[in-house]
Amino acid sequence: MRKIIGRILVFFVSVLLLSFLVFAISRLAPGDPLLSYYGDRVEKMTPAERAWAEKKLGLDEPILTQYGNWMQNAAKGNFGISYKYKQDVIEVVLERLPYTLVLGGIGFVLTFGLALLIGMVCALHEERWIDRIICKVGTVTSCIPEFWISLMLILIFSVELQVLPSSGAHSLTEDSFIDRVWHLVLPMTVVVLGHLWYYAYMIRNKILEEIRADYVLLAKAKGLSRRQILYRHCLRNLLPSYFSLMAISIPHILGGTYIVETVFSFPGIGKLAYESARFKDYNLLMVLCILSGITVILGNMIAQAINERIDPRIRAEEVFHDER
Amino acid sequence: MMNDKFVVVGRLERPEQTVTKNVPWYKEHPVVAEMMLVILFSGCFLGIPFLPKDPTFMDILKYGIAPGKEFFFGTDTMGRDIFSMIWYGGRVSLSIGILATLISTAIAIVVGAVSGLAGEKADTLIMRLTEILLAIPNLLMVIFLQAILGTPNPITISVVIGVTSWMSIAKVVRTEVRQLRNSEYILAARMMGGNFFYVLWHHLTPNFISSIMFMVVMQVRSAIVAESTLSFMGIGLPLEIISWGSMLSLSEKALLSGNWWIIVFPGVFLVGTLLCITEVGNYIRKRVSAGDSML
Repeated sequence: MRKIIGRILVFFVSVLLLSFLVFAISRLAPGDPLLSYYGDRVEKMTPAERAWAEKKLGLDEPILTQYGNWMQNAAKGNFGISYKYKQDVIEVVLERLPYTLVLGGIGFVLTFGLALLIGMVCALHEERWIDRIICKVGTVTSCIPEFWISLMLILIFSVELQVLPSSGAHSLTEDSFIDRVWHLVLPMTVVVLGHLWYYAYMIRNKILEEIRADYVLLAKAKGLSRRQILYRHCLRNLLPSYFSLMAISIPHILGGTYIVETVFSFPGIGKLAYESARFKDYNLLMVLCILSGITVILGNMIAQAINERIDPRIRAEEVFHDER
Repeated sequence: MMNDKFVVVGRLERPEQTVTKNVPWYKEHPVVAEMMLVILFSGCFLGIPFLPKDPTFMDILKYGIAPGKEFFFGTDTMGRDIFSMIWYGGRVSLSIGILATLISTAIAIVVGAVSGLAGEKADTLIMRLTEILLAIPNLLMVIFLQAILGTPNPITISVVIGVTSWMSIAKVVRTEVRQLRNSEYILAARMMGGNFFYVLWHHLTPNFISSIMFMVVMQVRSAIVAESTLSFMGIGLPLEIISWGSMLSLSEKALLSGNWWIIVFPGVFLVGTLLCITEVGNYIRKRVSAGDSML
């Protein structure tokens, strides 16, 4: 119980620190936030008008006071308005969130499903031609930067063959389910390809480590087939590390959607974050950073909790480690 | 009779026999990847004077020409020769990769060693802060640093990439240092008055360098990717400073006009380089430790 309270405390302190860091960083960086609120009109403003505008947005006070104000409002659930969209920040984010969740979520499930499959195929045929081919192809795909693979896919499927759309989440004229799926194909391919081999290779090596354990020999002596041993015994032992890998990589894969969303002009969180950081849309930026920070911290905590709960060996190892 | 069998004659002189492995030096080495890297580096750093065209010259009349005899890889939307640009820009991209890696490794070693040598509380604090830094979106940090450092050039980009990517190496260094710090020789060096940097450089680094070597090589790879991605998105190097990334930032125009060569050739060089670096990195990992930590 004490441990849980400790964890929650650590979580809140981390989020608080994170929010302050982001706040300070974004305010200290040069650049004009008024630009995102008023657009090009800023250049024609008189100093008096500027001062008024800054006062209205609360930008004239020292950073610490600004942060205090922000915290007070945030505690009431009021995160301010987006300078660019002139809308409540939460509304702007909620509007875009589903797109990223669909792209990242399905991408996440696909990546891990395929990674487990590929890892198993490779491990079953270790050092035979099928494993070697998959390893070579995998290494090559892991070397291709996400933006370039996106460009190549657009070039091949949208420009040359003209079968798949290259941007947006749906067509301007129609907005049906099939149309949306159609628009999701290319971005999804990039999200999955960008991460697949990294995880598949990890899982492959974990399985290879596992099948060298003594209990596998016993199972084999008992007369079980290779597949039975793999499915019934090895995979079960692998599950904790598989789940904790999944938890750690949630932010990794969600972060990977940033570039994809920008290249494909997909209206999700990533594109929003990129714009808000470039155009100093402070309130929006804060919420997005805190959101992504929370996913990172939560992901790590979940991974740790899973490890400790399912596999007590890890805790023992940690204790051992500290004593050294 | 017995004496005949067990006569003590002293030590029997035998020629010393050592086990020689009959393995040629190039075995297990990723020869192809190493050769390609050598060619690439020498081409990019020494071959500039021998380029067929001036890579910076914008021939307005000859923009968007398909690959052919005059322009091996065609020209871009501003009429520059892509073949020359690739070698010229490769120098910038590779330098950024190496410089950024040096910066991030230096930060990682210092932070990791401080955290590893510090007491329990300071250690926890430093590691928590590192984790929080990891939680800040990279994009924000990059834009912030760029804003401080002014208009982007290769050096500021290297600094930006280096400063934002030291955390994972620092974690490994810390773990290693925590295991090493109670060794007698460290204690001896401290007692003889060796200061922090002396001990770090002469005693700690040689011991953990092998376990971070793989990560360092991979850092070169991710720094090159970071540069090209940033330049591609328009927050890295501007068009006038030629690098593989800034060449690819023209790709939106190229997609509209269907000039595939503007996208394909720099990308192929980029991916090829990354692949070679990965092969070398994997070789280092295999040599250093068979089946060690995955991180």
